[in-house]
Amino acid sequence: MKTARFIALVLLAGCFAGIIHGTANLVIVEPYLDEAIGIENQNLFSSGEKQDTPEFWVEYSSYRDWQKGGQVLAGAILGTSVGALFGIIFAFSRRSLPGNHNVKKALILAGIMWLTIYFIPFLKYPANPPTVGDPETVVLRSILYLSFIAISGFGALGFYKLSNRLDKGKKIAVILGYAVFISIIFVAMPQNPDEVTAPMDLVIGFRAMSVIAVSIYWIALGIILGAFWQKLQPDKSLQTYTS
Amino acid sequence: MSNFEEIIVSKQAVPTFAVVILALIFGFGLFLVGYDQGHLFSIIQGAEAFDDLFIHELTHDMRHAAGFPCH
Repeated sequence: MKTARFIALVLLAGCFAGIIHGTANLVIVEPYLDEAIGIENQNLFSSGEKQDTPEFWVEYSSYRDWQKGGQVLAGAILGTSVGALFGIIFAFSRRSLPGNHNVKKALILAGIMWLTIYFIPFLKYPANPPTVGDPETVVLRSILYLSFIAISGFGALGFYKLSNRLDKGKKIAVILGYAVFISIIFVAMPQNPDEVTAPMDLVIGFRAMSVIAVSIYWIALGIILGAFWQKLQPDKSLQTYTS
Repeated sequence: MSNFEEIIVSKQAVPTFAVVILALIFGFGLFLVGYDQGHLFSIIQGAEAFDDLFIHELTHDMRHAAGFPCH
């Protein structure tokens, strides 16, 4: 495999998909973030922690512009890093993925990874807007979230390895095995310790838009990486020989 | 007289070097966007970076939108 070409196409695909993710967030998630931060500000004023002064709003505008401006850049960074993981797994699993086109193969893998390392963990520990989340519990929540992703991801990998040793007819048992495994983990893992005190329509709307934006990322990643792989064929090289 | 022929050879082996590079990028990017609380800038800025939280604020909206636990 051509190492430089492989690394470059994986990183570029992840970066482009991440930029799409960041842009989608700006359009569909940002209004919910603004609303949630507005509630946070009202709570600060009513508790006396901050004063509703022109100076406050100047400072607020300054850091909110910085935060919003970071959406696309953070999308590019996160997209590149998750894309790097996706590229590694795609390179190892490409031959065993169904389909005769690399875009189809990449979309199937993107779907599997979306489900196992994003959506199932999301169901257990859903995304929350600002105002939900106690700073005192952020380390615990981070450990729980990452642990669940790791358990689900490595669990899926383990069952995939197991499926390679079984006949085709028995592969459904592996999917059922993963479903049972992750259901047990789902029930056994502790709940998010924070109480949701924000309005539920805000929280539900935010979560729905968050899922849509992340799903757009995974679809974009599958299409772009698959198309790049199809075009650049990093696993193939032209060799000349004399006969 | 010898003939030159070209064939396309498929090399499936994934280079270890590429896997290591990509794994490092994955870990670094995930930490930066999801978990940095001034750690990266503290290398050059010192303890002040933990108060300024430049990276945290820059990635704040993506952190929430992508599902990472935040404050």
